[in-house]
Parts: sequence; structure tokens; C-alpha cells
Amino acid sequence: MFVARSIAADHKDLIHDVSYDFHGRRMATCSSDQSVKVWDKSDNGEWNCTASWKTHSGSVWRVTWAHPEFGQVLASCSFDRTAAVWEEIVGESNDKQRGLSHWIKRTTLVDSRTSVTDVKFAPKHMGLMLTTCSADGVMRVYEAPDVMNLSQWSLQQEISSKLSCSCISWSPSSSRAHAPMIAVGSDDSNTAYSGKVHIYEYIENTRKYAKAENLMTVTDPVHDIAFAPNLGRSFHVLAIATKDVRIFKLIPLRKESAAGSSGPTKLQVQILAQFDNHNSQVWRVSWNISSTLLASSGDDGCVRLWKANYMDNWKCTAILRGDGSPVTGSSSQAAVPSTAGGPQHVLLQASSAGRKKAQLIPG
Amino acid sequence: MEKMSRVTTALGSSAISGRTMFCHLDAPANAISVCRDATQVVVAGRNIFKIYGLEEEQFVEKLNLRVGRKPSLNFSCADVMWHQMEENLLATAATNGAVVTWNLGKPSRNKQDQLFTEHKRTVNKVCFHPTEVYMLLSGSQDGYMKCFDLRKKESVSTFSGQSESVRDVQFSMKDYFTFAASFENGNVQLWDIRRPDRYERMFTAHTGPVFCCDWHPDDRGWLATGGRDKMVKVWDMTTNRAKEIYCVQTIASVARVKWRPERKWHLATCSMMVDHNIYVWDIRRPFIPFATFEEHKDVTTGIVWRHQHDPYFLLSGSKDSTLYQHMFKDASRPVDRANPEGLCFGLFGDLAFAAKESLISGDANRKPYPGGDRRYPIFFFKKPDLTEQFAHVSSALSVFESSLESKRMDWFVKTARLYLLSGKSFAELCDHNAKVAKELNRPQVSTTWTMLRIMFSDPANLSTPGPNHIGKLGTLPLMNSFSMKEMGMGTESRLDRSKGESRQDNIHLELGNSLINNICPTAENEETEGSEGQAEYMFGDAELDDDDLYSMEHDNQAAEEQEYTLPQEAFPLRHEIMDNPLAPEHLQQDKADSPQASGNEAEVMCLTPIESFSLISISQPLFSPHLPAPFFCPVVREMLSHYAEQGDVQMAVSVLIVLGDRIRKEIDDLTQEHWYMSYIDLLQRFELWNVSNEVIKLSTCSAITCLNQTSTTLHVNCSNCKRPMSNRGWICDRCHQCASVCAVCHHVVKGLFVWCQGCSHGGHLEHVKNWLKSSSHCPAGCGHLCEYT
Repeated sequence: MFVARSIAADHKDLIHDVSYDFHGRRMATCSSDQSVKVWDKSDNGEWNCTASWKTHSGSVWRVTWAHPEFGQVLASCSFDRTAAVWEEIVGESNDKQRGLSHWIKRTTLVDSRTSVTDVKFAPKHMGLMLTTCSADGVMRVYEAPDVMNLSQWSLQQEISSKLSCSCISWSPSSSRAHAPMIAVGSDDSNTAYSGKVHIYEYIENTRKYAKAENLMTVTDPVHDIAFAPNLGRSFHVLAIATKDVRIFKLIPLRKESAAGSSGPTKLQVQILAQFDNHNSQVWRVSWNISSTLLASSGDDGCVRLWKANYMDNWKCTAILRGDGSPVTGSSSQAAVPSTAGGPQHVLLQASSAGRKKAQLIPG
Repeated sequence: MEKMSRVTTALGSSAISGRTMFCHLDAPANAISVCRDATQVVVAGRNIFKIYGLEEEQFVEKLNLRVGRKPSLNFSCADVMWHQMEENLLATAATNGAVVTWNLGKPSRNKQDQLFTEHKRTVNKVCFHPTEVYMLLSGSQDGYMKCFDLRKKESVSTFSGQSESVRDVQFSMKDYFTFAASFENGNVQLWDIRRPDRYERMFTAHTGPVFCCDWHPDDRGWLATGGRDKMVKVWDMTTNRAKEIYCVQTIASVARVKWRPERKWHLATCSMMVDHNIYVWDIRRPFIPFATFEEHKDVTTGIVWRHQHDPYFLLSGSKDSTLYQHMFKDASRPVDRANPEGLCFGLFGDLAFAAKESLISGDANRKPYPGGDRRYPIFFFKKPDLTEQFAHVSSALSVFESSLESKRMDWFVKTARLYLLSGKSFAELCDHNAKVAKELNRPQVSTTWTMLRIMFSDPANLSTPGPNHIGKLGTLPLMNSFSMKEMGMGTESRLDRSKGESRQDNIHLELGNSLINNICPTAENEETEGSEGQAEYMFGDAELDDDDLYSMEHDNQAAEEQEYTLPQEAFPLRHEIMDNPLAPEHLQQDKADSPQASGNEAEVMCLTPIESFSLISISQPLFSPHLPAPFFCPVVREMLSHYAEQGDVQMAVSVLIVLGDRIRKEIDDLTQEHWYMSYIDLLQRFELWNVSNEVIKLSTCSAITCLNQTSTTLHVNCSNCKRPMSNRGWICDRCHQCASVCAVCHHVVKGLFVWCQGCSHGGHLEHVKNWLKSSSHCPAGCGHLCEYT
């Protein structure tokens, strides 16, 4: 059962991304209003905005946290064709008293000639690296050679595809048996170009990323893509948000000769699940930390949770609806009979039992 | 496609139709202008000055105004304007400072009419009066604006802005006598055409040059300005002080701004650097362009709406030497590609969700609530006008917190904290961990621990069983048959599962099945020969059989799936096994009584529950009473891999550590390292530093143990001479004294050593703590005020 806690985000335009930090105690949001906000969870579970600042001169599409080993570091990317890396500065006593922290821009990555649609940090064991992808179909890999210096990033590689890129995900596996892997999704609306998800793998010999796989069955625009936390598995699980939710299993096939690492690993691709329950465009997918639950959200305004049983059959386990906003309209009152006392509400539908439950949380 | 984009608009007498099209120019364009009836467009640049006819399918070159073998600099145009009243009249601003007018009605090839060479530097802008035929205004780099009467040879009046170069001049739509001028220093001035001595009003609109300005066509007294500071500002000029009412932040300096006809809130902009696109903004939603035209490959220099009452046709000229007609229908809409939702799973199973409010409420509207939400009536309509949908958008942010403990990953944290991985005997560790798992309501994991204990406990250490145990054993009804019992599933999943779903067997049962079948004959044969040699043999055999087992799985799977659906009645039996971890040992005893029977008699062997939601227990003819531990290794390896593949790396690593050498060689180092790394990463996410450290210490992978040995550096001063310790030991190489002497008890400290960073003195943690309770001074007597925090 879930309870909804509504947060007055106070963004002036659409919020495009929400991102938790490594420990799950901080949250960052970004919006078309060109700002990023950082939220800290207080001891009583409330989220307080501790920083809000203008980051770009265009819509900010994505925001993402670096591993805390590198400090409190955020990356954002924007319609203004740049990506930026931000670091929190501690020790400003004035701001601290007001519960605010100060974030300063460490670098601006200006290589893209079109809107930068996604930015993601690499898994920690690879060092301080990030990738960006842009609307003109270029994926870029950056590395900060000195992890103590966040203002120096060198462009390691550029990979162009003809399709405009919309999302990117690193394989989180830390196994030495798995080469670093990046999946890129395209939101190009032309379904004639098949294969909207490309998977790139790091080739040790050439020190470059090369295309390992193209998921030909995905022909519709892809809006989000997420590798599941690896947790010691020998294979990869990839969730894709397109016109439906899809879950793929990528099994690396052992190479014949261990030394012959000149080409990318062959991947065996299995589709585990495919759901069109949103009946509309799916915008986001996100895995929980144990990779047992997948959350997806679509144009129907609902969040659906998916879970596999022991047979690897994926099923919808919950549908979450509700913005948690203060109840002013009559519709919400209808859903929750007595809202006068509490401004927040939640509606939960357990699909298996087929019943609805409403719970009231005192504000 | 073509059909889609063809639009015919009826505008009073004239009708405009066309499609998105372009033509190549000979040279880069600097400015374009359309004639009043929207049938022709003039393109002017440094090396081009042509008139094109706008036909349905294409641009047709009508006239080249750039005549003569060696055209003078007067043809090098910075700006051009077609008179909106007089269709034969054009004016250009030349880069050499000349203002030239052209009369298309002239019979000769050279249509040049008047030439004014009064400006000293480049003329940036020319502007005809909207209603007065003969009045022309120019603004120049030299800082002056001049008003010309085309019936006279010279300018009528000169306006000195006294604030640097003039970038734009525009007659007001509202007031006959007023014009606005924008300057490179960021100022905007309002002038009365009758009063050239001083401006009526001046204000600073931008930081840096104001490149352009445009009056709102619907005479509201609104002026839009665009500057190098990347902003477009809309000013209300009707009040005493110019008031900024809207501000649009673009991504590059704004070179041109043009209000969109018939759309109160829309304006088009283009940039003079970096950005080649043309944007149409809704000023009420200043963050994201309403529409974008992305055709140009170089800087767009001129934009103009084709007809002053038609909002669907936009013409543009560019430095890439093309002239485009853009259809509004073909524009790309950035907002359509913008993600309206954000979703992220938190560490503790909470879910942050931000969504466009209309999506959420739109969904609510679909539900037949009695008093339906009327706030968003627009969603009842099939296809509302996009222009109306654009403005006033916001998102709602909420966090869904799971109230179920299992979803909050509490089990993980508790398990990690409570598991014992070392420090006791193997059996005790297993028992303890089984208990922990059981208390956390994870019976399957608990059973696994119990079975591990059974499998790997040294038979020699087992106590002799009482007769009652044998009796219990006899009650097991499962002998000589396979059975699979449904275990209660882990709480983390049980609630979500639909109850009616029939549970089916899976391949692992077959694995167990065939494993036994394959081994049994061997076991029987070897039975009589004594157990020592047998151990080796069986181990090897099991290994060899592996491949066969896999193939058998596939063959048998379909057939056997149905058979092993077991009734719930099998449940209580589980406890018999679990509560009698000693069962196999009793069997030894039992067998000792009747050794001959052992080969064939049914006895119990427990296999591990390889499948996460089912427990397989198998009764089979028993093998040797001294079943060697390595016999189980393949099964345990399978089990560990299974847990890992299911994502329960915690179990895999914990078992790996507890079993230690018993299993280590069975699993390749790379996999072990992978499991350790994954588990440690998880532990650190949950800030379980102590557990993480313990796991690192107990691991046998060199890559893992070295994690603890990097990145920690201690800088220590010698407590005697107060100089930094340079060598690695605790003997100071300057005063040759041991530096780690406790200042309280004067003994060498082994173990936890605490010292003051100020005076370098320290000692046993407990001693120093106690000392500082009673005194704030250093126990060494150096007089330093030490502090323990």
C-alpha cells in the first residue's frame, strides 16, 4: 500500500524529471522553468526544498546525481544545448541558517549543437564519467580524469546515429565479466526506422564504445530506458518506455576466445514482458533498488507497478493515481469521502484484488 | 504529406495557399520583406537583391534589382523594406551608409529612385511609415536616425539618440507620430516624429545591445524588444513608465522579433549567432518555444510573416543562401517531445512522481464522478486548438511512500544487520541466520540455511540421536516419492500475487529429480565398497552429469509441469524437516542398524529450495550415511547462482562467506567478485558501513579485500618530538621513541588509539575518554586543551 505525500514543487512550468540520490535522502527536480530544485528529507519524512536555482537558459530535461563518493554533485541537461555539472558548497553559514545550500556550476558541456535530451553518470567503479545524448542523434562520453576536479571534463567519444536520441542508461553491473554498456533510446517518430534502442559496449582493445545490439523490435519512439540494478546477475535487464512498457533480458554470450575482445559481446535478447495497459504513450520507467519492481508512468496520468513471479511472468501489482495536491475540486472529494480534515489523499487500486482503497493522511 | 501541408486561407478578397518550400539564392541574405498582397518577396544582401514571386509550389524569380556590370556599394544591403501602401516602392539600407529607394514602376532596368547619402556609417534599418506614403525613417551605426520625405532630396529631420549605434527603428502602429528606436547600449527610445530635438522617453531594456523591436500589430501599445542578452521582453508603453510585462528567455542572442498576426500572445524570433532555428513563442509560457522551424543550416537573418493577417505562413532568409516559406502546420513542437512526467524509485521503495496536472486531472475526468471536475472542461472536447492548450502548464509533484515494510527494504537492512557471518561454528552460524530469516518472515531463506547446515555439518560432531527422532522420521509419508511443497512465499511478494494462480513446477525440480536419478545407481553400486573412495567418485560423477541434466530438463519440463502441483496439505510436513535438522544423521544411525537395506530403502535427503517460491524436498533411496560435503557443492552452487540471478545477492554473499572454503572453489572468482561488489554497493547505499566493512574483511577475493586498504591515509605526529612520522612503523625516526604510547597509562597502545590533533598526544580510547571527563587538559601534561568529540 502506498500513501501519497504531496509536495508543493512551485515550479513555474512542467517538471520533466525527478531523481533520487544514492542514499535516497535527497531528491532533485528539474523543470521547463529553467531551474533545478533540491529537496532534502527531514527526520519526520517531509521533503524540504533546500536549493532552487536557474541552471540553463532553456527547458531542463533531466537531472541526475553522481555517486556521493564524488561529492554532492548533480548534472543537468537542457534545451539550450548544454549539459552542466553542479556541486554543492557547504559552509556558507548564512544560507545554512535558512536551511538553504549553495550549488555552483563546475562545468558546462557545450559540444552539442541541438537540445541535450539526457545526461547520466557512469557507475561508480568506472570513475567520474558521464554521457549525454542529444536531439541530433549524437551520444557523447565525457570523463573527468581527476575526480577531485569537477571542472575538467574531456570528451572521450562521440557516436552519431541518424535518429534523435531521447534517453540513455548505463548498465550498472560492476562485474569484470561485463564490459561497460550504454543503452540509448530514440524518440524519432518515424516507425520506418526500426530499432529505436541501441546498445553500445566498451571495447577494451580500441578503448572505444561500439554498437553491440540494436533492438529491432522496438519501432515506436522511446521516451525512457532503464537498466535494472544488476545485483550480481550474470545478465542484464532493460526496461523501455515506448508506446507500451517492455522488459528485455540481455544475456551476454560467452566468447569463444577470451583474448579476442576486438568486437562487442554477442547478446542474446529475450523479451520478458510487454504491457500496453497505459493505453497511451509511456513516459517513464524506473526500477526499485532490488530490481523486483518496475514503475512506469504514462499519458494516462497513472503509475503502474510491475512485478515478476518466480516464473518470470510479469504482472501489474498496483496502479497509483493521484497528484496528492490539496483537494479543492469536487472530483477528489468524491474519491475520498471526507477530505475536509486532510489535504492529501491517495487512491490505490490493487489490481489482483480488484478493489479500491482510499486512505487519508493528516496533513 | 503535401496534402497535409497545403493550406488555403481566405483573407477577404485575396487567398493565400502554398506549402513549405524553399529556393536557393545566389548569396547569403541579410533581410527580406513582402509586398502588401503577399504575392512577392524581396531578398536583399551584400551580393543579392532580388524579387521572388510566391507561387503555390515554388518561388519564382521575378526581378533582379542588382544591375550593372560593377554594382556600386549602394547595392550592398543591410536591410530592405517593401512599402505596405505603395506596391512599387522599396527602400534599402546600404552598408556604406546610403539609403536608397527603388521604384518598380520604372521602365528602365535600373529601378533605383532616390539616393540619400547622409549617414556616415552603415545603415542598420529602414522603415516606412505604415500609412504615410512618402515618409521613410532610417537608423544607422553612426547613432543618428533620419526621417526622409521622398518628395525631397534630403532628410527632413535628424534625431540624435546620443547613446551609440541605432539597431532598429519602428513606427508605432498606434500613434501616428511615434516611433521606437533601439540602441547598442541597451536603451530603447520613443520619439515624436515632429520633435527631433529630444526623445519623449528612454529606458534601458536590456543589458547589452538591443538588436530589434516590434510593435504589437493590434495597437495595444505593446513593444517587443530582443537583445544580445538572449531575452525577448514585452513592454507596455501605454503607462507613464515603460513596464516590462513579459520576458522570454531564449538560448541565443535575439536578432529579429516579429509578432505573429492574429495571435495576441505569439511572436517569432531568430538569432544572429549559433542558433539557426526560428522560434515562435507564447509569451505567457516563456520557457519553451511554442513552435520551431529548423530548416536553415546557417544563421537566419530575416523573418517576416507573409501576410499581415495570416498567422500560418512565415518567410525567412538565411546566411545559408536559402529562402524558405514555412507552414505553421509543419513546424516542430518542442513541447510535444517534452516529457510531461518524471518518475523515480527511491532507495526505500518510495516513488517520486511528477506529472503535468492536466494528465492527472484529465484522468480524473474520465471517471464518472457525480460532481465531476469542471476545472478542465477543455478535456471534454475532442481536439482543442493547440494554441489554447499551450499556456498555463504546471506539474504536480508527489512522493508515494510505501507503508508495507517489505516494500521498504527493511528486510534487507535487518537481515544485513542481524546475520552472523563469522565468529562461531558453522552450524551455529547457519542456525542463527536461519532464525533471523524466519523472524523476518522469509521461510524459504531460512530453510536454505537449515539445509546448508545439514549438508555441510561434519557428521563426526553430531550427537547421537534419541529414539524419538527415529520415530518422527518414520512418520514421513513422502518416502519413495518426489514431492514438492509449496512454501509460503516471501512476504515481499506474497501479497502481490493473485491467490488463485496455480503454481507450477519448474525446471529446478527436474534438475533435482534427474540429479538423484543419475546418481543413485552409482551410489548403490558403490555402497558396499566403503565410503572413502565413494566420496570422490560421486563428486566427480555429479559434475559430469551436469550437462545431461540440463538437456533432460528441457525434455521433461512440459510433461512434468502438471504432475508436481502439490496440494496445500503438504505444508505441515515442512516443519518436520525444519525442526529436525538432524534427520539425516538419525538416518545414519538407523542405517547402522540395518546396513544392507540402506541402498534401497527410502530415506530422506533434503535438496535445497532452488526455486525462490517453492521448496523441494525429496525422499529417495539414501546413499551413504557419510555423504561427503562436496557431493552437495553442485547443488549449492546452483542454489547460489539462483539466488543471485533472482537479485538476492545478499543471500549469495552471506552463504558464500559462511560456507567459506567448502564452496569457494566451485564458483569462479569473477562471479564471486561480482557478487561481493554488488552486495557491498547495496550495503553502502543503505549506509550499513559496518556490515560492508565486515563483508570486505571476510571476503576472500583479492579485489575485494584491497578495497579496505586504499584511500585511507593517516598523518601522525610523533608524540615526543611533535614532528610528522615519516616511516611506516610507530617508532619515530627522529627521537627513536615509540610514538603510540598511551599518555595516561604509559603503555604502548595496541588496538584503538585516539590522539589529539592539536598536541599529538593520545592513548587508549577508554583511558583518554575517562581522563577528559575529569579534566580538559592533555593527560601528557603539555598544557594543551584537548577535546574529545
